[in-house]
Amino acid sequence: MNKCGIEIMIVEDNPSDAELVLRVFRKHHLADCCVVLKDGVEALDFLFPESAPGEPAARRLPKVVFLDLKLPRVDGFEVLRRIKSEESTKNIPVVILTSSNQERDIKEAYDLGANSFVSKPIKAEEFNQAVAELTAYWLKLNRLPGQ
Amino acid sequence: MTPAPAAARPPAPPETTGLRERIAGLEAASRATLNILEDFDEEKGKSRQLQRATLNLLEDFAEERRKLQQVQKATVNLLEDMSYERAKLGEAQRALLNILDDVEVERARAERAKALTEAANKELEAFSYSVSHDLRAPLRAISGFVEAVVEDYSPRLDDEGRRYLGLVKENAHKMGQLIDDLLAFSRLGRMEIARTRVDLEELAKEVFEELAALAPGRKLRFSALPVPAALADKALLRQVLVNLLANAVKFTKHRDEAVIEFGCLRGDGGCAYYVGDNGVGFDMQYAGKLFGVFQRLHDVSEFEGTGVGLALACRIVTRHGGRIWAEGKVSEGAKFYFTLP
Repeated sequence: MNKCGIEIMIVEDNPSDAELVLRVFRKHHLADCCVVLKDGVEALDFLFPESAPGEPAARRLPKVVFLDLKLPRVDGFEVLRRIKSEESTKNIPVVILTSSNQERDIKEAYDLGANSFVSKPIKAEEFNQAVAELTAYWLKLNRLPGQ
Repeated sequence: MTPAPAAARPPAPPETTGLRERIAGLEAASRATLNILEDFDEEKGKSRQLQRATLNLLEDFAEERRKLQQVQKATVNLLEDMSYERAKLGEAQRALLNILDDVEVERARAERAKALTEAANKELEAFSYSVSHDLRAPLRAISGFVEAVVEDYSPRLDDEGRRYLGLVKENAHKMGQLIDDLLAFSRLGRMEIARTRVDLEELAKEVFEELAALAPGRKLRFSALPVPAALADKALLRQVLVNLLANAVKFTKHRDEAVIEFGCLRGDGGCAYYVGDNGVGFDMQYAGKLFGVFQRLHDVSEFEGTGVGLALACRIVTRHGGRIWAEGKVSEGAKFYFTLP
């Protein structure tokens, strides 16, 4: 692993978006603290690993999840629903970071327990700023139970 | 009155007294006869009365019979009328059943149409969703990586190289705006209109203040005249005023002082609200092109914008059942009118 452990989990199927987010993290020396997963199945496998019988699962729970909605196989809504319905993960903040700015997506995300909904800005400056601010807020300012 | 039988057969009299007696007897007989005749007359009168009464009775009877016949005729007529009415009722019933059948057919047809419309709307929604999601992603990548090049490799580029990258970024941004505007425009066609009483004067003032805050260097003179309230969707109407007033602010930017007015023109069919300005105006021969999507009458380098604003305003007004039109003259300003029935 690395010195800061997994703090940020990014679920993003678009490699360009993932790389742009990582670029911001690199600038803030956070690139080593995150894991990028390409779809809902990978995300769920990471959060809820199959454990061998009688052996506790090796859980690596992040401090925050940046979740895209439109994902191959299992979509973001399903990942969100699982995170929020499991006792062990329900307190992990989930930030929806998506291209969508559709009202029904915003509503459904909040209905399922999303902690924040951010439409990815198209303008690079705004995009970079949004990622930097979100990271700063959820990792440094926000407090979670047991921290 | 009955004559004495003795008078009828007088005894044989002596010479004188006998004659006198016979005369008296005769007189008595004649009286008796008269009496009998009188009595007979009386009987005849009575019999006549009886006859008259009988005749009367018969007459009355005939009258009754006539009346009875009339009643009978009336009854027959009534029965005839009734069967006629019954036939008519039957017809009416049949007609009603036919109408109900037709209504049923129409309803089925309307339901099919509604289902088709709903399916089309869903498809359109899915389309705009994927437009919104999938067209943005590559734009974000273009913008993001150009920015990365500018930030990380700037020292290795000359001025012209940096200028080109600036243009790429600018165009990516503009396309993003076009997508947003187009999506807003397509959403409008499917949105439900929720009508409430809207104080347009107040709304215009509110919108103008927001717009003026975005143009701090400008000298803007705005007046909102009293206008009748409208029954309309407030959020959508706000959008109309934002678009019209923003245009008024934009197209007056070369004036030392912009004069913008919101008011209404009262006519026969109610009132036409308007936003007028003293800006660059336009040539009336292009008035029909003003409200088309992506139509622009001015150079984009002089007046920014995607060309969707007026199309959006037009769509909102039309969806309210109203009309929108414009009057203008080159360099003398423009006036945009709209009605809300």
